[in-house]
Amino acid sequence: MTYRVGVDIGGTFTDFAVLDDANKLYTLKVFSTPTRPGQEVIDGLRALKQRYGIEPSKVSYFTHGTTVGVNTLIQRNGAKLCLFATQGFEDVLELARLRMPDVFSLFSLRTRPLIDRECVIGMRERILSDGSIETPLDEAHVRAAVAQAKAHGVSGIAVALINSYRNPAHEQRIKELIGEAAPELYVTCSSDIWAVIREYERTMTGVINAYVQPRMTNYLTSLQKALRDEGVSSEPQITKSNGGVMRAELGKRACVDVLLSGTASGVTGASFVAKLSGFGNIASLDIGGTSADVALIIDGKPQFGSGEDVGEFVLHVPSISVSSIGGGGGSIARVDDQGVLKSGPESAGSEPGPACYGRGGERPTTTDAFVVCGFLGQAEIAYGAVNIDRAKAETAIGTLAKKMNVDVRDAAESVIKVAVSGMYAGMSKVFARHGTEAKSFTLMPFGGGGPMIACFLARELGIETVLVPATPGVLSALGGLVSDTKNDFIQTVYEMLEPATLASLESTYATLAERAMDWLRKEQGHPGTPQLTYSADIRYAGQSFEIETPITDEWIKKRDAASIADAFHDEHQRLYDYCDRKAAVQVINARVVVAAANPKPDFPLRELRKHAAKPDRTVPVYYGGKMHDAGLFDRTKLEPGATIEGPAIVSQSDTTTCVLPGFTGLVDGYGNLILKDGTLS
Amino acid sequence: MTTGAATAAKAERNEQGLGIDKVQLQVLADHSLAAADAMASTLYRTAHSTFVKETEDFTCGLATPQGQTFAAPKGFGSTWFVGLDYGKVIDLIPSYQEGDICITSDPYSGFVCTHSPDIHLWKPIFHDGELIAFSVGHIHNTDVGGAVPASLSRTLTEVHQEGIRIPPTKLFRKGELNSELVEVMLTNVRVRDQNWGDLKALVAAMNTGERKVLEMVGKFGVDAFRNGIQALLAYSEQQTRALISTIPDDEYFFQDYIDEDSVGGFPCRLALNMIVKGDSIVFDFTKSDPQLTSSLNVPTGGFERHTLLLVGIFHAFHSLMPDILVNTGMTRPFHCLLAEGSVLNPQFPAAVGMRSLTATRLQDVVFGCLSQALPDRMPAAPAGSISIMNVLTSDPETGRRVMAAIDPLIGGGGAMPFSDGSNGSGGNGGFLKNTPVEINEVEVPLRILAYYLTPDSGGAGRYRGGLSTTLIFKVFAPHSVITARNRDRTRFQPWGVRGGKAGKSSSYVVNEGTPKEQILGNTDIFTAQPGDVIRITSSGGGGFGSPLDRPTEAVLHDVRQYFVTIDGAREEYGVVIADGKVDEAATKMLRAEMRKQEGEGHFDYGRGREAFEKAWPKETYDALIERLRQRPVSWRFFLKQRVFAHLRDEMNVDARKLHAAMDHVESEFPQLRRKVEAAE
Repeated sequence: MTYRVGVDIGGTFTDFAVLDDANKLYTLKVFSTPTRPGQEVIDGLRALKQRYGIEPSKVSYFTHGTTVGVNTLIQRNGAKLCLFATQGFEDVLELARLRMPDVFSLFSLRTRPLIDRECVIGMRERILSDGSIETPLDEAHVRAAVAQAKAHGVSGIAVALINSYRNPAHEQRIKELIGEAAPELYVTCSSDIWAVIREYERTMTGVINAYVQPRMTNYLTSLQKALRDEGVSSEPQITKSNGGVMRAELGKRACVDVLLSGTASGVTGASFVAKLSGFGNIASLDIGGTSADVALIIDGKPQFGSGEDVGEFVLHVPSISVSSIGGGGGSIARVDDQGVLKSGPESAGSEPGPACYGRGGERPTTTDAFVVCGFLGQAEIAYGAVNIDRAKAETAIGTLAKKMNVDVRDAAESVIKVAVSGMYAGMSKVFARHGTEAKSFTLMPFGGGGPMIACFLARELGIETVLVPATPGVLSALGGLVSDTKNDFIQTVYEMLEPATLASLESTYATLAERAMDWLRKEQGHPGTPQLTYSADIRYAGQSFEIETPITDEWIKKRDAASIADAFHDEHQRLYDYCDRKAAVQVINARVVVAAANPKPDFPLRELRKHAAKPDRTVPVYYGGKMHDAGLFDRTKLEPGATIEGPAIVSQSDTTTCVLPGFTGLVDGYGNLILKDGTLS
Repeated sequence: MTTGAATAAKAERNEQGLGIDKVQLQVLADHSLAAADAMASTLYRTAHSTFVKETEDFTCGLATPQGQTFAAPKGFGSTWFVGLDYGKVIDLIPSYQEGDICITSDPYSGFVCTHSPDIHLWKPIFHDGELIAFSVGHIHNTDVGGAVPASLSRTLTEVHQEGIRIPPTKLFRKGELNSELVEVMLTNVRVRDQNWGDLKALVAAMNTGERKVLEMVGKFGVDAFRNGIQALLAYSEQQTRALISTIPDDEYFFQDYIDEDSVGGFPCRLALNMIVKGDSIVFDFTKSDPQLTSSLNVPTGGFERHTLLLVGIFHAFHSLMPDILVNTGMTRPFHCLLAEGSVLNPQFPAAVGMRSLTATRLQDVVFGCLSQALPDRMPAAPAGSISIMNVLTSDPETGRRVMAAIDPLIGGGGAMPFSDGSNGSGGNGGFLKNTPVEINEVEVPLRILAYYLTPDSGGAGRYRGGLSTTLIFKVFAPHSVITARNRDRTRFQPWGVRGGKAGKSSSYVVNEGTPKEQILGNTDIFTAQPGDVIRITSSGGGGFGSPLDRPTEAVLHDVRQYFVTIDGAREEYGVVIADGKVDEAATKMLRAEMRKQEGEGHFDYGRGREAFEKAWPKETYDALIERLRQRPVSWRFFLKQRVFAHLRDEMNVDARKLHAAMDHVESEFPQLRRKVEAAE
């Protein structure tokens, strides 16, 4: 027997999903060790052996998502860097794209750059937009700049020059010169990481990469060693923001590609589970103590974007699109001076946490409101790591009740409503942006708080079905396990789409495809069948934004401009409700994605034996202004075919599902709990 | 679950109806916001013009049956019209039926539209035959015909030159498009497909709003909705009144100037006497300039709560109370006094196309009053000029004509009571994005030589004003037309407060430092020739607090960041830096010396304004306004220009000199004398 292991390292817990050759799933949760990254993996491996008898030497595949990169960025404790930019454009980081985060506020400030202006050194060189060299690189000045950088005490240099997407020669030469003069420094060239037009975005991509690189490299190196020491012989893989995986070794260079690995694999896991149970359109909802994130899966496919937020920064490499819609279970409720109840944006976080955690938090949170209403605190949560103190929750919510002059339970219910309506507004925006309607989606909650709030939110959105996965706690870990090996390649073209330009377009794609195959075979060492996906970022001439349009290899080879243009017009029509088939069309970027499949588990579909599940006991809950008797169910005892009727509480060690009055639940053949709102039909 | 149980649960939900009591007003606010966001998304997603996508110069919202906007999107679209009151245009349509959508783009009908490129739509929303709300919104069309491409220019003198105007009328009657009207509109514009595309997008947004409102009614019940939207206005009003109550009762006066009241003209004064009493405020604007014979007038119809007069309040109050609900309720505690025939209340057919320049300065005037009232809480002046540069040139080899917006020139935010101002953009000018250098170079046959933050441009202070931006570029084709609309703050600088210095002024030069040097100042259209190198620098934000109180290490840090030069550190901050270190002893001496020279006033206006006000003290300008107001509207601008020209070399104009000059000028025009005497 061999085992495939997926690990997701979160802020508080690290989740393991393990599959054996017979597709049996084992799950495990251990505490994360943020101060000793990698230790949690070792702890988990040992626990796997202890609990399930899984020998590390029998691990045939190991993949994991890490928060080391993203935490480095959010906590701003990455490398001290210099930026080598083109002279005359040294303020690129400070200027950004000018637009302020809050356009109404006179007190709005842009994020402080990761590199102070004093550490930006202007290079004497200039390449023009056609790639020609107007001013040759002053190499003596580069050497002097390296000396200056060393005097600043930096550990790395990001190199990002104007028009380097067109001609990387100067960036490459600077890298060589740095290598000669200071081989100990990490160097990131923007054209190596993301050879795309728009200097600010490309520079930022390079800078973020360089910023997290030393920490990521140290972490991955120590993880590789620890795994070897434990006896895991297969090479570790790391999950990526694009929903794929690659060798951990490659993560030491392409650091920027793994920043959102945790959230992306959650969405991958959600789409895998949804597809298995026959659901195409899914809104995944991941709620933790301080965050609530939403991603849309349309027709079984996660949505990709560039421009995802990472803390105060924006990531421009292709990532699975995830939007934040609020503050999670720790959001603090208050009554403002006008007597209006508000939720967030302040959060009690995980320290001190909600008042009911009894860790010193006193202010009322969403989680406390759920406790007061009886939905939480009826059974053990978070693997017994947290004890719910109902009295503390009531005291906290009681302060609000007094101001509102209502009963504490009514105050609690109002807190839930306001928290839910805030998420409703955030989520509506996500649907609107995709030009779609909430009604055509199924809500899939996970994370500690998702299943708790899902029915409330679904009802607000007019969503009929809620799918609570069998193991909501390990969706990210499972996602990593089912991800394909995948990488993106891009090159700015910036040509009109017309027969005359297609020869050069063809050669650009050929080069990208060759690089993609090299990556898969040589760097990744993956023997599987490659799947190359072609697309182009296209726009109408004169527009300032482009649309990624899927195209085929055949069109490129046949130099079939008309088919490419038609694909773009269709895509434009789909996204923006109109197109102009006569207008001139411009290709901005050529993209190739290479993917190679990794084995997928084949979970057995168990037979449904319809029966009304028996609750362990009934507990009082408060909803709709009155008390109800809710059945309390243990998730582990719910067999396929079991039905339950709201109001009910389904408890499991990593989350609690609230089933509201009017909802009915059915456990499907894969163990997922499918809740339907009977009041909608 | 049995059907019976489901029905019972459903009934219970409806009964419970999320009752809109005060405590749960936030629930309705969230749903309204979501509805407005959905409208804005529809518009943004389906609009055709790049202008809409890049500048987000549009609004969407929901209004009560009386036309008061109760919901507007957050962080999306223009910041200027979120509190707009559609009441007056709504009343201009005799009756409404389901499926109607109304339109106007006439700045003189109902005073909702404020210049002809803005197309406003409003759609009545009915529930069971009862009108319960309106979808409202506008979109700025790049061109609506008229005398010049893009329809806007300071040179225009009457509204007829500013493109086609649609009086309030129905675009759709009971769901049916008024296609004759559309044809008339599109026949009169330069880019008909684009305008039609954008109009369709705005119509789609109206329909989204209707759908969302009906969903809300379904959810909350019509009574709760009807009462709730009024409660949202009242809530915003209460928040606003609570904030006003923290402002000490008093009168606060502030004035500021536009550099030129017409092309190459004289200053235009905007003056505000802010009278705070309890929880309401009177804005007396009557000491502002008479209406101009250029397109800088702001059409308000004399409406006492016109949104364009209160944009400064939206910015300031949102800054001071971040969770304030921005809607028409915010405008209720305000009462504006406007003189008929003035720059803020022009008479038909005065041109109004470039009212944005005036409206931007008007915000500074509001900020100036609030700064005196709340000295610890308000920032110094932001850069105050929001200009977009366009280039019309050709490829020197292929001859291909290219027209493109290259970059907005905005300038720094004002220093805050607790932080330096934001660099490059900020304050009330934070909504525009720049165009990447690389995109400009590939799209337009020009070369960008540099794009940077201008050292020393931020007003010195305990907290420094935000730095301005400098853009230097070279053109290669003959007759390349460079337009820089809304250029200002070349003469009058963004002011500093509480000892903070004024931000540096804007400048615009061709072939600087060569024999062919030409200073362009506020020029909005310039024709460049091959090889010309153009430099344009925006203005910096004002400083807050004395620069002598700025910690020396902060000044040294600024020097290291190239934000302040070594000379700037010495001259403006009294910090002596040698060999990369602060010379503490020399600094102490220099600062002690400089402290003796420090002024006392709340504001530092900078040299341009000090020089002007030396020649034209406030009292003299007051007298000028007073006297002009007694003249017929059509004569006011003309007389002002003549008097300024007459007194051009006068160093200190007092009342006596002013009246003598006026008498002299007027004596040339017996017909005017007769008219005035007849009136008296």
